[in-house]
Amino acid sequence: MNYKLLHIFRNTPFGRETFLQSLYFCKTINAFPVAYIPKSDKFLMYFSNDAVQVDLDHSYLTSPDTAKGHAEDLFKEMQIKPMFYEPKNYTASTLPDISTNFDYLCCPRSVSDLSSKIGLGHIGPKVRRIIKHSTFPILITSPVFKPWKSISVFFGGSKNALNALKLGLKIAMSSGFALKIYTLLEKQDESYYKDLIKKEGLAEPVKQLSSPWHFYEKKDFNKMLYDVPHDSLIVLGAYGHGIIKDILLGSKMEQIQSTVTNNLLITGPYCSVEL
Amino acid sequence: MSKIKNFFKNLFRRLFQLDDRLLLIIAGSIAGICSGLAAVALRLSLESVLELLHPFRQYGWAFILPAVGALLSSFYLEKIAREGAGHGVPEVIYSVSRHGGLLRFRSSYSRLISSFLTIGSGGSAGPEAPVVMSGSAIGSNIAKFLGLNDRQRITLVGCGTAGAIASIFNAPIAGMVFAIEVILGEWKFVNIIPIAIAAVAGAQVSHAIIPDQVIFNHLPFQVGGADILPSLGLAVVTAMVSVLFTKVLRQTGKIAKKSSLPFWARAIIGGSTVGIIGMFMPVVLAEGYHSIQSMISGTFSMGLFFVFFAVFAKIFATAMTLGWGGSGGIFAPCLVIGSLTGVVFHKMLMVLVPSFGCASEGAYALLGMTGLVSGVMQAPLTGIFLIVEITGGYETILPLIVVSSISSTMSHYIEPASFYFKELIERGQFLRPGTDARILSDLNIRELIETEFVKVSENMVFRKFIELLKTSDQNFFPVIEDGTQEYKGVIQISAIRKFALDPGMYDMVFLNQIMDTNVMTASLENDLQEVLDMMDINHMDSMPVVENNRFVGMISKTRILDLYRRELIMQTSDH
Repeated sequence: MNYKLLHIFRNTPFGRETFLQSLYFCKTINAFPVAYIPKSDKFLMYFSNDAVQVDLDHSYLTSPDTAKGHAEDLFKEMQIKPMFYEPKNYTASTLPDISTNFDYLCCPRSVSDLSSKIGLGHIGPKVRRIIKHSTFPILITSPVFKPWKSISVFFGGSKNALNALKLGLKIAMSSGFALKIYTLLEKQDESYYKDLIKKEGLAEPVKQLSSPWHFYEKKDFNKMLYDVPHDSLIVLGAYGHGIIKDILLGSKMEQIQSTVTNNLLITGPYCSVEL
Repeated sequence: MSKIKNFFKNLFRRLFQLDDRLLLIIAGSIAGICSGLAAVALRLSLESVLELLHPFRQYGWAFILPAVGALLSSFYLEKIAREGAGHGVPEVIYSVSRHGGLLRFRSSYSRLISSFLTIGSGGSAGPEAPVVMSGSAIGSNIAKFLGLNDRQRITLVGCGTAGAIASIFNAPIAGMVFAIEVILGEWKFVNIIPIAIAAVAGAQVSHAIIPDQVIFNHLPFQVGGADILPSLGLAVVTAMVSVLFTKVLRQTGKIAKKSSLPFWARAIIGGSTVGIIGMFMPVVLAEGYHSIQSMISGTFSMGLFFVFFAVFAKIFATAMTLGWGGSGGIFAPCLVIGSLTGVVFHKMLMVLVPSFGCASEGAYALLGMTGLVSGVMQAPLTGIFLIVEITGGYETILPLIVVSSISSTMSHYIEPASFYFKELIERGQFLRPGTDARILSDLNIRELIETEFVKVSENMVFRKFIELLKTSDQNFFPVIEDGTQEYKGVIQISAIRKFALDPGMYDMVFLNQIMDTNVMTASLENDLQEVLDMMDINHMDSMPVVENNRFVGMISKTRILDLYRRELIMQTSDH
């Protein structure tokens, strides 16, 4: 495996926590972390059908002289060879283009809003847009570095959820950690989900890598969240519906991340995962 | 509900997906209308604010007005819209060249506001580049909303541009020509019709909202054969002025960037300088359409000496406005500088040869405008059609062509890249469709790599390798370390012949003793052009690709050629 994770480095104690999270994630799944130390407070990411400008909050530019040194120290602490990303192209002189040729991207819950340091029940609009358009999974870290020791996949039967399950299996294989699957029975019964993964050819790896499948009634959503171990990496698919549905019905992704403080690994609608 | 949704999906597919021309025409018209509206909004608001501030220009403190405008403009761009600086056209060209015309939604309004603040306060800039940026972003975002592909999106970017230029000048042909000549860089059948319709839509929107709009009144010009020779001279002069204008613009911008001053201080310095110049020479202020009108109609009252200095003052004022934090374009300044140059030339001609029976001063102002537009943008057709359309001066078409072609050719000779393209060329990002650089940039190194390679261990004994050779048709074998799986080197069949021909060596040699560790490797981060350059320098036909010390695959010239041809066919075909 030769996977690379891009981390936008924030030279603050909070940034240190998220960076440690990225380093731990990479070390666990044998991927390579690449740190980008921003020199301007914005950058552009060109996806196949959208150009997402990420406006970083000012904490990303804190003490630029020491940023690289701090990042290198953290790399060394985790015994990982330091790798830094330098943008090659610029849309405007102060607007670098950040490559989207990565396998993972680490994001805090919000990149443009300082309130994210303390607020939980919010995923910033830029992070949402990145999730919506990216072809790679997004690691949304917990506010404090917390090594995870298992993997929990939230499987709801959608295409994104199948991708999330594949990703969970992949990470379980490379990390050697146990995989747990959680399903909320909304419209279908247990057999429907089991048949679905059989049809997708995932029954065998699920059997090999996963502990018993956890099913919950629709009303037990919060119970399901509380049953997830606190030191587990949660893998889930973004539902990918629009802003109107989000406002009317609420976003499940936000509901999950506002309840649990675990690290989240999210697969968006354009994300493709191969086992 | 789902039945209705399916019905519309099927309808959409049947109508548009079999042949996208109808889709592009409809979407292009919408882009043209929207960008036309944006252009009209900017024009009307500029007219209002310039009129509002006009009475205050007589006061001594009025020089701070452009400074305040530039300050607000740069503050808005930096802190509110958070756009990267720049006047926009190179950004659109870059987006078309590298990212299939993807533009941010915020670009559809941000430059309109910032240029309104700059030009409205008296800054020397034009509203055309902001409306081009806005129109292009509108087209791009319509394409995004409809989920169109790169080619279709680029066409809609062109539609937005054409609609914007057509609307602001009420010149549909110039809008269409500018979009194709400057922004897209390719005359393709599939592009021309939607762009032409968008240009007409933009002009019609403008005409509907401002029915009596005429930027410059048409006056009959008596241009005869005697004017051809002076036209040649004027073409040379406008070419020189074009080059000077481009250089001053770029140098001033570079100086501002190098300075350690914060953005707001730069804006204040730039704006104040323009304000001070404007107190003595009001012709340098704002977009300058009124001055152009008086020059065309022959009522421009400044004498030769002052007009001569006004040319340089306008150049310097525009450079200080755009380079030091203001926002706007160079189109209108080109027109002003061009008409001033034409007037200077005519006046000098009259001084030198008083009895020379040439055309009026206004006709020479027109020719000067064409010369400057063609020289600075190196877009001769845009220069000709724009001037003909906005002035209705068809009588001057022959000298216009003469001046335009000579000016653009000469300035191209002296300064090979136009102002719009220069920065992109320096950054290696000016990639026109069908060119070698564009095709190579569109090929992703990941899709070129052949990954089906048998890797061998560095501790493999040579006999085992010989056995492996019997069943393999590989010419290169990547050698890796056992534990870490790190790439160590490569075994090239041609390089191990002496060992292969000596069976006595089979059990004595290990691969780490005979592998080549000095072979140049590429990485996934390299551009294809860089990889090809490395191959040429090292006389290689294939090159290992190594990432994070792991062997990823091989990249070969044969594979590059295959995909190059495929990409070339795709880029140069009409669909």
